[in-house]
Amino acid sequence: MRPSDGPALSRLRRLLERSLEAAVAVLVAALALVVIVGVSFRQAGAALPWYDEVASVLLAWLTYYGAALAALRRGHVGVPTLVERMSPALRMWAVAAAEAAVLLFFAVLAWAGWQVQGALAGTAMVSLPSVPAAVARSAVPIGAVLFVVAQLASPPQALGAVRTSAKGAPADPPPAPGRPASRPPAPGKGCP
Amino acid sequence: MTLALVGVFLLLVLINVPIAVALGLMAVVGIVASGGVDALPNVGIVMFSGATKFPLIAIPLFVLAGAIMNVSGISQRLVALASAVVGFVRGGLAMVSISASMFFAEISGSAVADVAALGSILVPAMRKKGYSRNFAAAVTSSSGTLAVIIPPSIPMILYAAMSSSSVVELFVAGIVPGVAGGLLMMFVAYLWARRAGLPAEDAFQLGRVWRTFRGAGWSLLLPVVILGGIMGGWVTATEGAGLAVAAALFVGGVVYRELDWAGLRQAVLDSGVQTAVVMLLVAASALLGDYLTEARIPQQVAGAIMGLTESKVAVLALLNVFLLAAGLFLHSAAAIILVVPIVMPLVQAAGIDPVHFGLVVTLNLGIGQQTPPVASVLVTACSVAKAEIWGVTKANLPFVAVLVAVLLLVTYAPAVPMALVEALYR
Repeated sequence: MRPSDGPALSRLRRLLERSLEAAVAVLVAALALVVIVGVSFRQAGAALPWYDEVASVLLAWLTYYGAALAALRRGHVGVPTLVERMSPALRMWAVAAAEAAVLLFFAVLAWAGWQVQGALAGTAMVSLPSVPAAVARSAVPIGAVLFVVAQLASPPQALGAVRTSAKGAPADPPPAPGRPASRPPAPGKGCP
Repeated sequence: MTLALVGVFLLLVLINVPIAVALGLMAVVGIVASGGVDALPNVGIVMFSGATKFPLIAIPLFVLAGAIMNVSGISQRLVALASAVVGFVRGGLAMVSISASMFFAEISGSAVADVAALGSILVPAMRKKGYSRNFAAAVTSSSGTLAVIIPPSIPMILYAAMSSSSVVELFVAGIVPGVAGGLLMMFVAYLWARRAGLPAEDAFQLGRVWRTFRGAGWSLLLPVVILGGIMGGWVTATEGAGLAVAAALFVGGVVYRELDWAGLRQAVLDSGVQTAVVMLLVAASALLGDYLTEARIPQQVAGAIMGLTESKVAVLALLNVFLLAAGLFLHSAAAIILVVPIVMPLVQAAGIDPVHFGLVVTLNLGIGQQTPPVASVLVTACSVAKAEIWGVTKANLPFVAVLVAVLLLVTYAPAVPMALVEALYR
């Protein structure tokens, strides 16, 4: 936790993180289960008609709920090289512009996703007629709003570097001694 | 107009806007400029349908399988077996790292997972035997890149989805170059170990090989089941990935009993977040793709280059240079998503087999993962070994040279990757 965070902000962030983690875990487990069940039924000669469509929709849900979680952890793939080399004053402007760009995009996406929701009234998923199409596609507007909240609830890393380096402290704390390096440095940051 | 959009995109990327968002904003600006605000709801439709690509479900599942292997004792057993088989040679531990990577690659498909899993076991072991920190990190990092050419491979799955080619054929095309690259790397490690006067591990004992083989037996069955199922045509790559998860859960949880809830939870979350990061890129690129196709940009690129030269060799050389440059500055998933749709018409016009080109792309971007400033695999290895990036990069040069040699072989001797594909599927 950063010293400038108020208790309310850090509580919101923890709540959001827990909820998004639960959503992502459920979606990954559901995805694995649907694919395993789907392939078992197909091999047994009784293919499930809804399997491809449900799995694809689950992937889209994982995309948007997981993207919000990655935003909270500042784990999206970017190129920080130039910003890290800027002078502190310039860096503040760059960080502010980048934050604004991200918020603008997801605000547009939330609005566009909402417009689509309205247009979908009365339609349903192809293989599961009891599920409205609007439910399947709700991940886009909901995920976009969650992304905006997550972005606002997490301080940009480059900004943190500005703050700490302004105080003369190193931007990155050295790794704790004796801790086994058994995990990748930042889950979600690595690209497959 | 297009140039202005590229300018917007570059500006956004340079101030560290996530690449997915930069792509999306570039497309939004293009859509508004050509269709007005009325066309904007389209963004919501395409960003959804772009994220529903069934073949890409393989990504979270293969990452999950790898992560489960990592936390359930499967990796350790592979390392023990590899030590028993090649550890007696001078520089043996480096070879253990390379050969264990090749095994691991057959189940997980992600170079970062491979390096994180094996590096945390092998780097401390190498340090104990007197290997320098930089060399230990370098060999772990480079052998991790083998993971992306040996099937299954997440970059190959992405390439197949972006270029509409066969995942299975790509997987098969990767086998010969992947094994050749591994053997060459072992040879380099041997030469280096002789020069540095490093010890062999232990004497070769058939009993130990047998013992570790029995210990790892179930883990060795995983690639047989998964790859056999995919390549034999019984299951699709996505279904094979589902099987990989089921098999890793069974072996780690039931046979070895080393899988606990905390480990599983971490594995599930890691795979979910990594997938979402890649999928947001995929969805945003679908948005941009619609715009680019309407503006016929890929066709114009193809026409312009084919106007310069129609030689396949020259076009491949050009693409190699372009992809290597892209790999320097972009993560491999981002590079595939950005570059492949733009160059595919050129590849087809030059008469290059899309599967052959897929391997060229995968190798180029694999090399890109080893070369700073943006080098996800190398950075992971450095962090596992607590080594400094430029020192590791220097120690890594001979291994990167091996990867470049494999790239040239694959590019200009298409039979190396393609002979097996031709024999099995065409």
